[in-house]
Amino acid sequence: MKPVAFDYERPHTIEGAVGILSGNSDAKILAGGQTLGPMLNLRLVQPTLIVDVTRIPDLTRIEEEEDAVTLGACITHAAIEDSRFADPSNGFLAEVARGIAYRAVRTRGTIGGSLAHADPAADWLSCLLAVGAEVLLTGPRGKRRVALKEFVRGALDTELAPDEVLDGVRIPRFSRKARAGFAKICRKSGEFADAIGAVVHDSDRGVLQLVAGATRGQPILINGEAEGLGASFPPPLEPVREKLKQSGLVGDAYELNIHMAAIKRAIANAQA
Amino acid sequence: MTAITLTVNGQSVSAEITPRTHLADFLREHLLLTGTHIGCEHGICGACTVEIDGEIARSCITYAAGCDGAEIRTIEGFDDDKLMARLRQAFSEAHALQCGYCTPGMLIAARDLIRRKGGLSGAQIRTEMSGNLCRCTGYVGIVEAMARVMAERATLDLPSASVRGARLGPAPGPASSTTGNAKPAAPHRSLAASANVGSASARGTQSPPPVAPTTKGRRIKVEVGSVEEVAGKTRLTQSFVLEHPRDAVWQLMADAQAVATCMPGMKLDAPLPDGRVTGRMEIALGPIKASFAGEGTIASFPAEYRQVISGKGGDRKSSSSAAGEVAYRLRRETGPSGVEVTRVDVELGYSLTGPLAQFSRSNMVRALVSRIGESFAQNLDAKLSTPEDAEILSAPLSMGSLIWRVAFDRLRTGVTRVFGRKS
Repeated sequence: MKPVAFDYERPHTIEGAVGILSGNSDAKILAGGQTLGPMLNLRLVQPTLIVDVTRIPDLTRIEEEEDAVTLGACITHAAIEDSRFADPSNGFLAEVARGIAYRAVRTRGTIGGSLAHADPAADWLSCLLAVGAEVLLTGPRGKRRVALKEFVRGALDTELAPDEVLDGVRIPRFSRKARAGFAKICRKSGEFADAIGAVVHDSDRGVLQLVAGATRGQPILINGEAEGLGASFPPPLEPVREKLKQSGLVGDAYELNIHMAAIKRAIANAQA
Repeated sequence: MTAITLTVNGQSVSAEITPRTHLADFLREHLLLTGTHIGCEHGICGACTVEIDGEIARSCITYAAGCDGAEIRTIEGFDDDKLMARLRQAFSEAHALQCGYCTPGMLIAARDLIRRKGGLSGAQIRTEMSGNLCRCTGYVGIVEAMARVMAERATLDLPSASVRGARLGPAPGPASSTTGNAKPAAPHRSLAASANVGSASARGTQSPPPVAPTTKGRRIKVEVGSVEEVAGKTRLTQSFVLEHPRDAVWQLMADAQAVATCMPGMKLDAPLPDGRVTGRMEIALGPIKASFAGEGTIASFPAEYRQVISGKGGDRKSSSSAAGEVAYRLRRETGPSGVEVTRVDVELGYSLTGPLAQFSRSNMVRALVSRIGESFAQNLDAKLSTPEDAEILSAPLSMGSLIWRVAFDRLRTGVTRVFGRKS
C-alpha cells in the first residue's frame, strides 16, 4: 500500500509542466490526487515521475467572458461547493459539487483532474457534458479547445495527449431562466454511482441536453434538438429510453431502468 | 530525496523525504505523531483525516512533498481547541467510540462539519460523515454525539474557516494566488490564456478541432454475442464481414506477424522453429500502463479455414498474468453486389490472475469488445485493400486494454464501490 518510488517535480507555469511531460513519456500529472493517490498506493499506476501542477497560478484562474466562464483546472470541488466565485450556472455546479464523494475529498479533488481521468461514473463528466462545457488543452503544439463530448472517447479514454495539460474548463453562462438538474443512484452516499442523470434546459439559448452517466463506456449525451425531443419541458422520455437502449452501453433491463430513473430524478430536480 | 518545510501543529518542521512518502507516514514515522491513524491507506476510510491549511483532507493519499509550505494540524494539535474539547466530551458521553481507531479522523471531520454547518438532521449528519468509516459500527453514538454538539452551535465559539482564507485550488497552492488575497473570489486573470480563448470566442470562429480518427479505412460493423464467465474465464463471441474473398483473408490471417500488426499494441518476435511465437503486448488504460510479455502457439486447420491462437503472458510491474485464446473461422458469403465476401467468426476466451483477478465481475466487456473488434477489423480491411503499404494507425483500444478495462472495472466495483471515491 505504498507507491513505488517516483521522482517529483513542481512546475510553476503550464509551459513548464508541458516541457517536463514532453521530456518524459512515463510522467504523470498530479493535481488533487484523489484518484491518482489511491491508484499510486495500490500500485496500479507506477510512473517514474510525478508532476505536481497545484502550484501553477494559471490553474486556479477564473476568466469571465460575456457568454462563458473558464475555470482553471485545479479549482477544487469544495471551492465550487462553497461558491467561492461567481457561478455561471445559477448554482447548478455548486449543487453537483456538494454531492461529490466526501468533504475531505472535495477539498483536494479538482474539476480538471476529474475530467482528465474521465471515469464514466464521475460527477463532473456527466454534469459538464449536459452543460455543454469545453476543455482547454495546452501542449508543445500549442493550445486547443475541445468540446467535452469530443474529448471523451470512452472509459478513462480521452483526447488528451501524453504531453498535454488540461488547463481549464470553459462553461457557457446559463440564462436567468435556465433549469438544470442532477441525480445519481449510489449504494452508499459519496460512492461511485451506478447511474447518473443530468439535464440542462435553457430555452433562451435553445439548449436541451440530457446525459446518462455511469454507463459501461462514456456517458451518453442526448441533444434535444438532434433527437427531436421538441421544445417543451419536461421532454418526452420514450425517445430517451430508446436512445439508451441503442447505445449498447447500459446493459440489461435493470441497468436501463436505473439510468432512466436517474434521468427522471434529474428532471424532477430541475423542476423543483 | 526532497527537502520540505512545513508547519505541523504550529511548529515549523524541515525534513528530507522521498517523494513517495505520504503525509500520514511522514507525521507518524518522522514526527512520531501517531494520533493520525492509517486504516485503508488508499483514501477510503477517513481514519487518517487531518487539516491542511484549515481544510480537512486524507493524509494517506496526500504526499508530504506536496505539502511543502502548508500548515498541517493533526489530532494532537486540537488540545486547546474549544469545539474539539466539547466534541471529545460528547463522544465520551454518547459512547461514540469503542476501539478508537477511527476516532481521530471522526473528530476532525465532525469538528469541520459543525464548524461549517448547523441544524442538520441525523440522516444529514450520516450523509456528511459517510467518508469516515467506523469498523466497530458505532455510528449511532457518533451521530448522537455530533447532534448534541451541533444543537449547541449557537452558544459555541466557532472557529473560523481556512487558515489562509478561501482558496480555489488544493492547499497549499501557489503562494502568490492565495496568501494575502483579501478577496479570494476575485478572478485571477491569465493574460496569455484569456487573450487566446477570449478573442476566439468573441469572434465565435474557433470551433473545436476534429477528433483524430483512431482507425483507418471503412467502418466495419462488428456483432458481439453474449459475454459469459465460466470457471474464471471470460468468454465471448463476435462476428464481422470483410469485403474480400475468403482465400485472400485466409492468406493474411494465417500470417501471425501480419495479423499482429492489425492488433494495436501487439508485437511478435520472429517465430521459433517449433511453431511457438513470443511477443509483447503494450497496453494502457488511463494512467495504468502494462506490458505483458509471453508466448503462444498457433494451430491452423486450412481445410476448415480455422485457426486457434492461444497464449499467456505476465506483466512484471503489476505481477499480474493473463491467458487467453482466440479461435476464428472464415466463412464464404455473397455480398450485396454479388461478389464473394468473408465472414469472420471469432471466439475469445481469457482469464486474469494476480492482484487484479480477485474482484467481482466486469460490466463493461460487451461494449468494449465491439469497439476493439471494430479497430481490428478495420485494420485487417485496410491491410487487405492495400497490402503493401497499409498504414495501421494505433487504435486506442486493444485486446490488452480490454483486459485492463475489465480489470479496472473489477477493481472499482470490488473495492471502490465498497469504500471510496476519486477526485
